[in-house]
Amino acid sequence: MFGYVRPCRPELKCKDFDLYRATYCGLCRCLRRRYGLIAPMLLNFDFTFLALLLWEPEEAFSPCQGRCHGSPLRKVPMCPDSPALEQAADESVVLAWWKLRDDLRDNGFWGGFPARTLSWVLKPAYQKAARRRPDFDRTVRCCLEELSCLERENCPSLDRTADAFARLLQAAAPCGGERGRVLSQLLYHLGRWIYLADARDDLKEDKLRYNPVAARYGRSGNDEALKLTMDNSLQLMGAALQLGDFGCRGPLLENIVYLGLPLVQRAVFDGSWSRIKKQKIWRNDT
Amino acid sequence: MRDPYSVLGVSQNASDDEVKKAYRELARKYHPDNYQNNPLADLAEEKMKEINEAYDTITKQRAGGYSGSSSGNYGGGYGYQQSYSSASANPVYARVRNLINAGDLNQAEQLLYEVGQKDGEWYFLSGSIAYRKGWLDEAMQNYTLAVQMEPSNMEYRQALQLMQRGSMGGYRPAGYSSAGCDPCTAYLCCSCLTPWGGPCC
Repeated sequence: MFGYVRPCRPELKCKDFDLYRATYCGLCRCLRRRYGLIAPMLLNFDFTFLALLLWEPEEAFSPCQGRCHGSPLRKVPMCPDSPALEQAADESVVLAWWKLRDDLRDNGFWGGFPARTLSWVLKPAYQKAARRRPDFDRTVRCCLEELSCLERENCPSLDRTADAFARLLQAAAPCGGERGRVLSQLLYHLGRWIYLADARDDLKEDKLRYNPVAARYGRSGNDEALKLTMDNSLQLMGAALQLGDFGCRGPLLENIVYLGLPLVQRAVFDGSWSRIKKQKIWRNDT
Repeated sequence: MRDPYSVLGVSQNASDDEVKKAYRELARKYHPDNYQNNPLADLAEEKMKEINEAYDTITKQRAGGYSGSSSGNYGGGYGYQQSYSSASANPVYARVRNLINAGDLNQAEQLLYEVGQKDGEWYFLSGSIAYRKGWLDEAMQNYTLAVQMEPSNMEYRQALQLMQRGSMGGYRPAGYSSAGCDPCTAYLCCSCLTPWGGPCC
């Protein structure tokens, strides 16, 4: 997706940092094993968060050693394949594919050339992933269609457009049961928050295109009101997080929700996000 | 029933103070104020019941068979849903409130749209439905309109204040205060917000 969901590194405990890194590397390996050499290109922080959420709480953290895709000479600790990683990997392929199709339609024949090449490369992977997660595939397609409809008619309601994206992300976790309810509330508001953060980030660039923040508050936006509604989503995410059992991954998830997301939100509002988002969180240069 | 000590997350031989501290932390976490009007309120209520029972069992055991409730039973008087019971003059609104409480938002919305005259309560209920759905911007707009139309109604004003308080209102585990806000001073300045009505440290 967009890389907005990241932990606040200075506040991470060493063990949580190791856990995060091993999950990230594990997701990379899982993508490579399931979808071939180009798939790790789709790796991002957002789906690492999803994998952490989906993990069974009883399962302890026990990394194995594996070769890094980026520098094969190095061996690094990574989480071995697990249902949570597989689900996150499948879903990131499905979402990446539909995002690409969306961009293709928006950019026309020549503008969409890079996207078209990419989608041609990605197609076999997508077909495999869609077979594995047919429900998620269907929901993503419907929600993105709905979203582009709302964008075309220049929908003035912030909530209505954000709702389409939020429901998309909500479908990433199995619903039903107590745990399902907690996860879907958490992911709904995460989706809403990501959508709004992205809209605020693009506010300056989207001079001609539809932007939900501009449609609601006008071209100059209204940071105070937007911050309030995004803070409310964060608070509801926190409340949901407290009701779920996440085992040894709890403290890391708390760091992301209570510190990482607010930090990113502040950066998006004050304009420093474009610089921060390029930083790798592994190096200590923040 | 689960072992009361594991419910509170303390060991069997923890001191009375440790048990009390663990109980208070959990009670703060699942406090109804954090889940007002939240679609997950029933889960929080269950957790609260569980820790209240666990704490009662432990204190009874330790007092040697003394019977009677000893926990403050946080969450008893508050109610997890916003008090939608306040009798509505309009029977349609009363039904809408019941539907919202039961979680049937579509039906509630439909019923509300059939009402011709939009007054303060209409906007308040419409805001509550939006809030339950996670449509926070529309909830805020509707609550604001409700307060503008009936400035003296405490229920509407409380709902609006709760939204405006934003991220300050929720529970955070120790050490996760937002940057630039020392948890101790934050609790001292709004000490009445802690469940036991006093400063946290």
